[in-house]
Amino acid sequence: MSLEQFKNRTVGTQVYKTLDLGETPKSGMDRFKQVVKRTFSLELFVGLWVTIREMGNALFGGNMHTVKYPFEKLPISPRYRAIHDMLRLLESGHYRCIGCGLCEKICISNCISMDTRYDENQRKEVSEYTINFGRCIFCGYCAEVCPELAIVHGGRYENASEQRAGFSIFEDMLTPIDKLNLQQEYDGFGAVTPNADENIKKTPLAY
Amino acid sequence: METTLVENLPEVTALGVIIKAIIILAVISALAGFGTYIERKVLAFMQRRLGPMHVGPFGLLQIAADGIKLFTKEDIVPQNANKLIFKIAPAITAATAFIALSSVPVFPDFTIPEMVFGVTIPLVGGVFVPSIASDINIGILFVLGMMAAGLYGPLLAGMSQANKWGIIGSARTAVQFLSYEVVTGLSILAPIMIVGSLSFVDFNNAQAGGIGSWLIWQQPVAFVLFLIAGFAETNRTPFDLLEHEAEVVSGYATEYSGMRWGMFFIGEYANMITVAIIASIVFLGGYDSSYELGWLMIILKISFFFFLMLWVRAAWPHVRPDQLMWLCWKVLMPIAVINIVVTGIVIMV
Amino acid sequence: MYEIVAFYLFSALTIGLFSVTVMSSNLLYAMTSLAAGMVLISGFFFLLGADFLGAVQLIVYVGAVMALYSFAMMFFDATRDIKEKNTNDALVFLLGGMSALMLVLMFSAPIFSENVQALYPMTEGVGNAQDVGMVLFTKYLIPFEVAALMLLVAMISGIILAGKKMDSSLTEDMDADDEIMIVKDEK
Repeated sequence: MSLEQFKNRTVGTQVYKTLDLGETPKSGMDRFKQVVKRTFSLELFVGLWVTIREMGNALFGGNMHTVKYPFEKLPISPRYRAIHDMLRLLESGHYRCIGCGLCEKICISNCISMDTRYDENQRKEVSEYTINFGRCIFCGYCAEVCPELAIVHGGRYENASEQRAGFSIFEDMLTPIDKLNLQQEYDGFGAVTPNADENIKKTPLAY
Repeated sequence: METTLVENLPEVTALGVIIKAIIILAVISALAGFGTYIERKVLAFMQRRLGPMHVGPFGLLQIAADGIKLFTKEDIVPQNANKLIFKIAPAITAATAFIALSSVPVFPDFTIPEMVFGVTIPLVGGVFVPSIASDINIGILFVLGMMAAGLYGPLLAGMSQANKWGIIGSARTAVQFLSYEVVTGLSILAPIMIVGSLSFVDFNNAQAGGIGSWLIWQQPVAFVLFLIAGFAETNRTPFDLLEHEAEVVSGYATEYSGMRWGMFFIGEYANMITVAIIASIVFLGGYDSSYELGWLMIILKISFFFFLMLWVRAAWPHVRPDQLMWLCWKVLMPIAVINIVVTGIVIMV
Repeated sequence: MYEIVAFYLFSALTIGLFSVTVMSSNLLYAMTSLAAGMVLISGFFFLLGADFLGAVQLIVYVGAVMALYSFAMMFFDATRDIKEKNTNDALVFLLGGMSALMLVLMFSAPIFSENVQALYPMTEGVGNAQDVGMVLFTKYLIPFEVAALMLLVAMISGIILAGKKMDSSLTEDMDADDEIMIVKDEK
């Protein structure tokens, strides 16, 4: 086993192509020969063929790469950390937040502010909950620390609105009550992605 | 041969020529605008993108949007620029491009009918509109000369704008266009020797015998040389050093905005069309006026050359200025001269 | 009618443009008016029916003035006015006026002696280029060849003057002057 093979023994298949650039011409005659060879080897037409082939692929092979963004969106990873979602309990539909204030404490950019009070049933309820998205760095600590999996990161990444408060009020982040059946359970911060198996590659062991 | 053809045609009047000039101006300006749309679309497809899509069906009205933008943009003249020359320069590019088009056959000749739907057309009814606005018998030389005069547009623009990028752009104009002018002239000389005339009509008639009689089969080297030089003269991609964004910001057009920049643009596209027409007539047989579809054929040929220019832009990288000069003086010009000598020997023997 | 209007138009424009060339102290104005005047002169040839000479005038002088431009670009700031250093205005005026007068006399002499007649009238049925070619290769063959020889000499001397240090690059100490060399790893 050669050294090259030994080094690559646990790595997936390699499909690198080595370019044969030939020798650097030394004399004038060599240079002339190189020019003649390059002129008549029709390499330029290979370039033309590649572009027209791709044009054919794009137009007739359905291989167009453009995503018409506002009309169609690419799927994002379930672990993507965008605007927060507040989840509800599936049975009662009540929000999960118990008002413990851990997210407010752990927030390193001090952007979560909340206020709680006791309601008529002596249950703690969230009277005030805002996240200042001008400050939030989307580190994900709040979701990680939440004991009830109440605050999670959702998939809303289009953060343009007319007012700063657009996303940050508790009711806006809360799952709408009629969409409760569509609520995605969050595996917890750092959980593997659903398609993790496909993404696994062999780890090179020896370097 | 051509005298009999000419005798069959009605007399060319001044009114007909004026109408022809207006047609050329209108159609080629529109085509230049449409050319930008085609260019963006073709380049996009070759890079597997969609190109302009949102203004009108398939983005067709993008031309209108661009036109409105160009016309309404602020017209900036830099403080230290030589203002008169700065303002004249774009007009030179656009004007010479259209003057060059005045002596090439652009569309078939036709006669404006006297009556349409029973209504008599005043003034222009029954006027014969020729296919060539000014049928001089040295058409090729005139077109080449006019395209050479068009170099003053970028040259003056770069020199007058008090901008270092502009100066570099105009220096490149002088160097590149002057050099490739030589190759264009020499490469087209060999077909001229074979046909023995400088008139586009004679070229067309000499190749009237179908595909087999096209001059490209007799002069393949001259054809390739002319194409290369044509790309350099119209400032198209492998040789577009004048306004190469990556090197000299925008070269001679750095300080231009609005319609003045647009005139450079229209001139460049009109020149592309002119080169495509010359290549089609001189090497690919031109039009065939004996049947109606003959004119469709030359439009197809012109479209092919136009497409080739876009295609090449998508496929090939730029060359450096020194490579450009190397290619011109050390490769293309000797080949062109050898080609002429060989052609001469073959004609004499 | 058209010819007369065009002739006077061209004349006025040409004279005006060339006076700008002489009078202006701005480089760009001078050069541009020179180029424009040269282009307009070809209009006279077209008026006289000498299409071929007109086109040749166009091509030749467009290129020639372009070369002048490149010198101007190298030596001057094109956007500023240039201060000329004339040591003796009277002498310049005298010499310039004298040579202009002599030129006018020389060219108007045939008009005074007899009416101008075309020595080589256009032949019917052949084009302009053929006419010029016939004259050039019969009566004026020797001047034509001598001119060609002179141009050849000028070209060779130009190459020798410019090409002394062509092999060595001023910026780099390598002799790859013409194209990119992708140097292969030579281990």
